[in-house]
Amino acid sequence: MTITNDLEVEESRSVSPSDRQTLASGAGFTVLLYFGCFFGAVTLSAALVQATGGSATEVFGALLDGSVRARGRWGQTLGISVPLILVGLGTVFSGRAGLINIGQEGQLYFGSAVACYAALRLGDSAGWTEVFPGPLVLIFCLVAGALGGAFWAGIAGALRYWRRVPEVLTTLLLVTVAAQVVGYGLRKDWLLAVPRDGSKAAWRNISTAQLPPDQRMPRIEVFGNSFPISVVIVLAITAVVTVVLTRSVWGFRLRMLGLNSRTAHRAGVAESRYGMVAIFISGGFAGLAGAMMLTGGDFGNYHLTPGFSVNIGFDGLLVALVARQMPIVVVPTALVFAGLRTGSGFLAATGVEREITKIVQAMLVLALLIPPAILFVRDRRRAMTATKSRT
Amino acid sequence: MSLTAGTAESAVPAVEFRGVNKRFGAIVACDDVDLVLHRGRIHGILGENGAGKSTLMKVLIGLVPRDSGTLFVDGIPVVISDPLDAARYGIGMVHQHFSLVEPLTVWENVMLGDEGRFDPLEIRRRIGEISERYGLGIESEAVVADLPVGLRQRVEIIKCLRRDPDIIIFDEPTSVLTPAESEQLFDVLRQAVQEENRAVALVSHKLNEVLGATDEITIMRSGRVVDRVETREADAPGLARSMVGREVSLRSSGAALGLVVKLIDKTGVEDAAVSEYEGNPVLTLTDLVVHSNDRKNALDTLSLDVHAGEIVGVAGVEGNGQEELTALMSSLVEAVSGSVSVDGRVVETGVAGSMARAGVAVVPADRHDSGVVLNLTVAENLFLVEPEKVSRRGLWDSGLMTRRASELISEFEIQAAGPDAPLWSLSGGNQQRVVLARELSNNPKVLIASQPTRGLDVGAIEYISNRLRGARRDGVGVLLISNELEEILDLADRIVVLFRGKIVGEMLRSDVDLEHLGMLMGGAIDDLVENSY
Repeated sequence: MTITNDLEVEESRSVSPSDRQTLASGAGFTVLLYFGCFFGAVTLSAALVQATGGSATEVFGALLDGSVRARGRWGQTLGISVPLILVGLGTVFSGRAGLINIGQEGQLYFGSAVACYAALRLGDSAGWTEVFPGPLVLIFCLVAGALGGAFWAGIAGALRYWRRVPEVLTTLLLVTVAAQVVGYGLRKDWLLAVPRDGSKAAWRNISTAQLPPDQRMPRIEVFGNSFPISVVIVLAITAVVTVVLTRSVWGFRLRMLGLNSRTAHRAGVAESRYGMVAIFISGGFAGLAGAMMLTGGDFGNYHLTPGFSVNIGFDGLLVALVARQMPIVVVPTALVFAGLRTGSGFLAATGVEREITKIVQAMLVLALLIPPAILFVRDRRRAMTATKSRT
Repeated sequence: MSLTAGTAESAVPAVEFRGVNKRFGAIVACDDVDLVLHRGRIHGILGENGAGKSTLMKVLIGLVPRDSGTLFVDGIPVVISDPLDAARYGIGMVHQHFSLVEPLTVWENVMLGDEGRFDPLEIRRRIGEISERYGLGIESEAVVADLPVGLRQRVEIIKCLRRDPDIIIFDEPTSVLTPAESEQLFDVLRQAVQEENRAVALVSHKLNEVLGATDEITIMRSGRVVDRVETREADAPGLARSMVGREVSLRSSGAALGLVVKLIDKTGVEDAAVSEYEGNPVLTLTDLVVHSNDRKNALDTLSLDVHAGEIVGVAGVEGNGQEELTALMSSLVEAVSGSVSVDGRVVETGVAGSMARAGVAVVPADRHDSGVVLNLTVAENLFLVEPEKVSRRGLWDSGLMTRRASELISEFEIQAAGPDAPLWSLSGGNQQRVVLARELSNNPKVLIASQPTRGLDVGAIEYISNRLRGARRDGVGVLLISNELEEILDLADRIVVLFRGKIVGEMLRSDVDLEHLGMLMGGAIDDLVENSY
C-alpha cells in the first residue's frame, strides 16, 4: 500500500487526455512500429551484405525465391509452418494463464518420440497391422504425440503447483533431459531403434524405421506444390482455439488467472487446476507438432533421428511472442518464420558468406521481435502509472 | 498576504514555497503553490485525497522533483534533491507508512541508513534522551515486531527527531493511531514547537485534527492553495467548504471529512439500527484462527455474528487482523481452525470461489490486489465473479454483456468511456464503483467492505456510504472493516473492536463511549464484553 499513496492526484477525471490519445493511436502506432523495424532491418542487412562484397538484391531475391517464388517452395513453407503454428498456439495457452513455458523444444521432441513409438508398436513390427489400418495408426500416433508432450510439460506443471518450482526453469531444463531420454530410446531396439543385424557401422546412423506410406499424413498437390493435409487441420484447430480463448468463459477465466491470480482465486478460478490444464494443453500442442512433423514429410523422411526437433520448438516460442498471445495472429507469424526457414535454403547459392546470411536472418527475426517487446513495455508502463496514480 | 509570525525569531520563515508546480503526465498535482512555514507554529495542510498536499511535502523532502518554482529555507533559495539533502537543511519527515525492519531492535532501526562508523552506545543514549524529553516511552532495546502500531510510529518520530530537524513534516500521522494515541502525539508536537521553536507541517484530511492541533491552516484543492486561515478564526463548515469546493452538509459528509459526531443524535440513527435482530445471523464466524505469511494467529479465535440488515463496524488500529479477515472472506487464505457459516451453511475456507458462491460480496481494501483486473475491460470486470449471467453454454453473449454492463454503469454512475474501456483508464473512485456494482448486483447475503473509502474524495466517499446503507436496507448483512473511526461511527449499527486478531469489545452504536472505544482499540481488555450486548 505504500505505492498507492505516493502520488496524490485529481480523483474526478476518468480518462485523461493522454490516455485517450494512446487509445486512439494504438493501432496506427503498432503498424508504424512493425514497418519501421522491418525497414530498419532490411536497410541494415543490405548495407552489411554490400559492405562485405555481396549483392543485397541477390540475397533478398534468394530469400523470396526460397520461400515462395521458386517452384514447389510455398508448399514447403506451408508444411514447415504447421508445427510452428501448433507450438505457437500452445504457448498462447500457457502465456494467457500467466505461465512461462519455454521448453516447447523438449516437449515437441518427446512428443514426437512417443508418437513414433506408438506408430512402431501399433504398426507392422508388432504384427497388429490387420487390427489397426494405417490411417487409424496415424490418428493414434498424433494422439500419442500430444499426450507425450503434455506429459513432459506436466512434469514442470506438477513441480510448479506441488513445490512452487518456477516453470520457466524446469521447462527449459527438461529440454536437455528430453534430448537424452529420446536419445536413449533411439539406441534401444525395444524402444525406438531399428533392429539391426549386428553390423557396427549402423550405429553411426541412429534412426528409427520409416513409417509405412499408409501411416503418413496424406499430401495435397497444387500447381507443383505439395503440402500435408495437416495444414488444413491446423487451420481448423486455430479457429477452435481462437473461439475458446477469446469467446469462452473458460478462456476468460484463464486470462484472468494470468492477469491477477488473487482476483481470479476469489472469483473461483483455482490456480493449480486451471494452470495445470493450461500447461498440459501447451505441452500437448508441442507434442502434437512433433507428431505432425514426423508424419508430415517436411521434416526428414518419416523417421525419427537425433536432433529431429531442429529448433521448431524455440521458433514456435518466438512465434507466440510476436503474436502477443493472440491466437489468430499466430498463423501469419508462423508463415513468416517458416518462410525465413525455407528461404534461407537458397542463400548458399548467392555466394554470400554463411556468417553474413545468418546475420541477415537474425536481423529479420529481430525486426519481428522488437515491436512486441516495445508494445509490452508500453502496456506495462501504462498499467503501472494507472495503478500508481489512481488510488 | 502576510501572516503574523508566532514569535519574534520567525520573522524569516523557516520554509517558503514560491510558485511551486508539479505535474504527473496530464495530472497537475501542485499548481503554482505558495506556502510559508513559520518557526514555533504548527501549520496544518488540509485537503481531500488527491489535493496535492503529500506531493507538496515530498517536494520539500526531496522525494519528488518540482517542475518549477522556488523553495526557500530560512530565506535562502535551495535545491533539495533527496531526503539526505533535506536532512542537511534540517528538514525531517514522519511518513504515513512506516519503514521499519520488524525483527530488529529500536536502536538498530534508528541507526539504519547511517554511513561510516557508528556508535551503538551513543545512539542508544540519544534514543533514551529523546524518549524522555518528549515522554515517548520507547526502549531502545525493544524489538520492533513486539511493539504495537502506535509505538512504532514513535520509533519513526525518534528516527526523525534524532537528527534534530528544525522543520518536521507529519504526513497523515493519526491514520494508525487510536484517539488517545493521537492526543499524545499532538502533545509531543506542541512541545517540540513551543519549547524548541521548530516548524511543523501537519498534513491531514481530517477537519477535527487540523482544528485541534494547529496554529494556522492552508487548504488545498486540486493542486491549488484555495485558502489559508488562522486556526482560532476557522470553523468546521468553512474549512469543509474550502476543502471540497462546494457547500457540504456536515451531517451527511462529516465522517468523510474526519469529524467525529460526538453527541449521538438518536433521531438521526436510521430505523435499521435496532438493538435486537430476529432470527439467525446471516454470517457466523466461530473461533477462527488464521496465520498470515509473517505472523501466527493473525486472527486468533475470532468469533462474530452479522445479521441481515445490519452494519457491523470492525474498529481497530491497522494491522490487527483486518487484512486477514478480508482475505479469509475472499477465499484467499485458509483458516487453521474455526468455521465460517453463511446463512447457516458452513463454507470451506481458502477454496477458490467458495465464499463468492456462498453469497459473500467483498469490497477489498486494495482493489488492485483482489478486487479488479486492470487489464480487463469495465464490462469484463463487472462480470468476472459470475460470468454465467452474461454467457450461454460457456460462450460470452457479447450483446447481453454490453447491455447489462451499460445498465450497471449508469445505475452506479460509473464514469467510463464505455463498457469496453480498459479498467486502468478509470479513476480510483470509479474503479471502486465497478467493484461495488459487481458485488452488489450479485445479490449477496453478506457484504464485507474493507476500507471501502480509502483514498477517495468526498463525493465518492458519500456515494459509497450511501450504497452501504442501501445494502443494509436491502437486507444484506454488512461487515464494515475500517481504520477510520469516523466512518464506522457514521455507518455502523453495532461496533466490535479488533485487537491482535481478537474481538475485544462490542457495543451498540447508540451506546458508544468514545474514550472506552479508544481504550479497547489500544488493547485495554474490556471486562464488560460479556454483558455489553
